[in-house]
Amino acid sequence: MKSRLAAILPPLAVLTAAIGIWYLASNVLISEDRRFLLPSPDAVVQIAFLDPANLSELLAGLALSAQVAMVGLGLAIVIGLALAILMSQARWLERSLFPYAVVLQTIPILALVPLFGYWFGFGFESRVLTCVLIALFPIVANTLFGLRSVDRSLHDLFTLHSAGRLTRLFKLQLPAALPAIFTGLRISAGASVIGAIVGDFFFQQGPSGIGQLIYVYPRRLESEMLFGAVILASLFGLAVFWLFGVLSRRVTAWHESQQRPESPPLPANV
Amino acid sequence: MTSPTNSQIKEMAILAGTERIALRITDLCVQYATGTLALSNVSLTLRQGEFVAVVGPSGCGKSSMLRVAAGLLAASQGSATRSTEHVGFVFQDPTLLPWRTVRGNVELSGELRGTRRAERKAKAAEAIGKVGLSDVAGQRPGTLSGGMRMRVSLARTLASQPELMLLDEPFAAVDEITRGRLCDDLQRLFVADKFAALFVTHSIAEAVFLASRVLVLSDRPGRLIGEVPVPLPYPRSPQVRFTSEFTELTAQVSTLLTDGEKPLRAKKKKARETAA
Repeated sequence: MKSRLAAILPPLAVLTAAIGIWYLASNVLISEDRRFLLPSPDAVVQIAFLDPANLSELLAGLALSAQVAMVGLGLAIVIGLALAILMSQARWLERSLFPYAVVLQTIPILALVPLFGYWFGFGFESRVLTCVLIALFPIVANTLFGLRSVDRSLHDLFTLHSAGRLTRLFKLQLPAALPAIFTGLRISAGASVIGAIVGDFFFQQGPSGIGQLIYVYPRRLESEMLFGAVILASLFGLAVFWLFGVLSRRVTAWHESQQRPESPPLPANV
Repeated sequence: MTSPTNSQIKEMAILAGTERIALRITDLCVQYATGTLALSNVSLTLRQGEFVAVVGPSGCGKSSMLRVAAGLLAASQGSATRSTEHVGFVFQDPTLLPWRTVRGNVELSGELRGTRRAERKAKAAEAIGKVGLSDVAGQRPGTLSGGMRMRVSLARTLASQPELMLLDEPFAAVDEITRGRLCDDLQRLFVADKFAALFVTHSIAEAVFLASRVLVLSDRPGRLIGEVPVPLPYPRSPQVRFTSEFTELTAQVSTLLTDGEKPLRAKKKKARETAA
C-alpha cells in the first residue's frame, strides 16, 4: 500500500503543479480577448467534457481513431511476428527481407499516405494501412532480435535431445523472445495511435476521427475543444501503453527486468 | 613372466567383451574454424559405470572433446563413439529455461524425447527428490541460488536416466562451499545410478574426489600427457579430502600438469633466445 502511494504521488504532484501553472497562465498572464490561445482548464472541462453534445462528438472521433489504431496494430502484430519468425528460420530469408523492412521504416510515412488515398480510397482501409506501416518495424526488429538472442547453450540443450525446428521455435525461441517482443509491442502500440491520428489529418474525407477534429477545431477557433481532443487522444495513448505494460509484466514475470531486488546489490569486491 | 596390472586386466576384459564400453574416443583432433588446433590425437575409453575426470589448463580443448562426445561438435579428425543413446550433458551454466518452474525444467528432457506425460512427471519428481529440491519444485529458477540452479540442471539430466553423463566444468561458477556440497551430491548420485561419467574440470581436488581415473591434458593443443588412477573406494566421504592418500594423488596430478607445461616453457624460452 505504501509503495503504491509512493508510485502515484510524485506524478500526481507534477500534474497538479502543471494544472496550477496552466490556470495561472490562462487567467492571469493572458488578456481575455486572447484567451483562445490558452483556454483555462476549467473552461476546457466545462465545454469539452461536461457538454454532452461536445463530449459525444469527441468520443465518437476517439472511438473511430481507436478502432483504426487497434485494427492496424493487430494486423501489424500478426504480419510482424510472421515475418520475424520466417526470417529467424534462415539467414538467406533474413538477408532477402530485412532490408525492405528497414526501407519501409525509413520512407517518410507522409510521402506514402497520399498514395494510399489514391489506391484504397480515403476510408477505413487506408487509415488502417498507415497504422500497420508505422507499427510494423518495431515488432519485426525486436522479435527477430529476441528470437536470435537465445543462449547458445540452451540451443545446445535442444540439439542434444534432437529437437526439431518447430519444437525449438515454440518451446525455446518464442518464450525466450517474449521480453523483446513486448518491448516492440509497446513501441508499436504508441506508434499505431499516432498513425491513426496522422492518418486522420491527411484523409480529410470520410467519418471524422479524433485527428480530423484536432485539425478542424483550431480553424474554428474552438480552443477548448482542441484541448479536450488533445487530452483525450493522449489519455488513449497512455491507456494503450499502460495496457501493454501490464500484459508484458504478466507474461514475462520470470524475466530479470521484472525482478525487484530485495536489497541493494553489494559492491563487487565485498 | 610378470603378472598383468589392473589396467591390463581391464583392457583384456574389454577385449573379451565382458565389460561394456560407454564411450570410445579415438585419435580425436579438433580444429576451430579460426585454424586453431584445440585438441590433438586424444584417445580414451570410458567403461560403463566408470567415472573419469579430465583436467588441463584453460583452452586445452577439454570442453571441445566433451562437445564432440555429445555430438554437438564435429571432429576434425578421429572419432567419438557412444554405445548408448541415453546421454546426459551438464553444462558449465545451469542452462535453465527461466520461464519454467523447477519441475517444468526437469520435465523438459522427457518432453523433448516424447516421453508420456505421467511417466515424465514421475521421473521428474524422483530426480528433483534426489537432488533435494522437492520443496522448491514449483518455483522459477530466478528465485533460486546458484547452487540450487546447478542442482536443477543435474536433476534435469538425471531425469532422462542417462547411461553416459558428460559434465563440462559444472561447478566452476559456484562458490567453494557450494562446490564441495555439489561434488558430494554428484558422487552420491553416481554411486546410486551407476552411469558412466566423463567429467571435465579445472579443479584437481574435484577430479580426484570424484573420479576413479584422472586424465591430464597438456596445454593447447591438448594431448593426453598422463593418467592417475584413484584407488579410493566409493562411496567416498567428504573427509577423504583430508587424508594423506588424497593429498598424494592431487600432488601426482599437479606434477603431471606442471611437467606438461615445462617442455612448452622451454620451447618458448628457446624461441625467445633465438629471437634475441
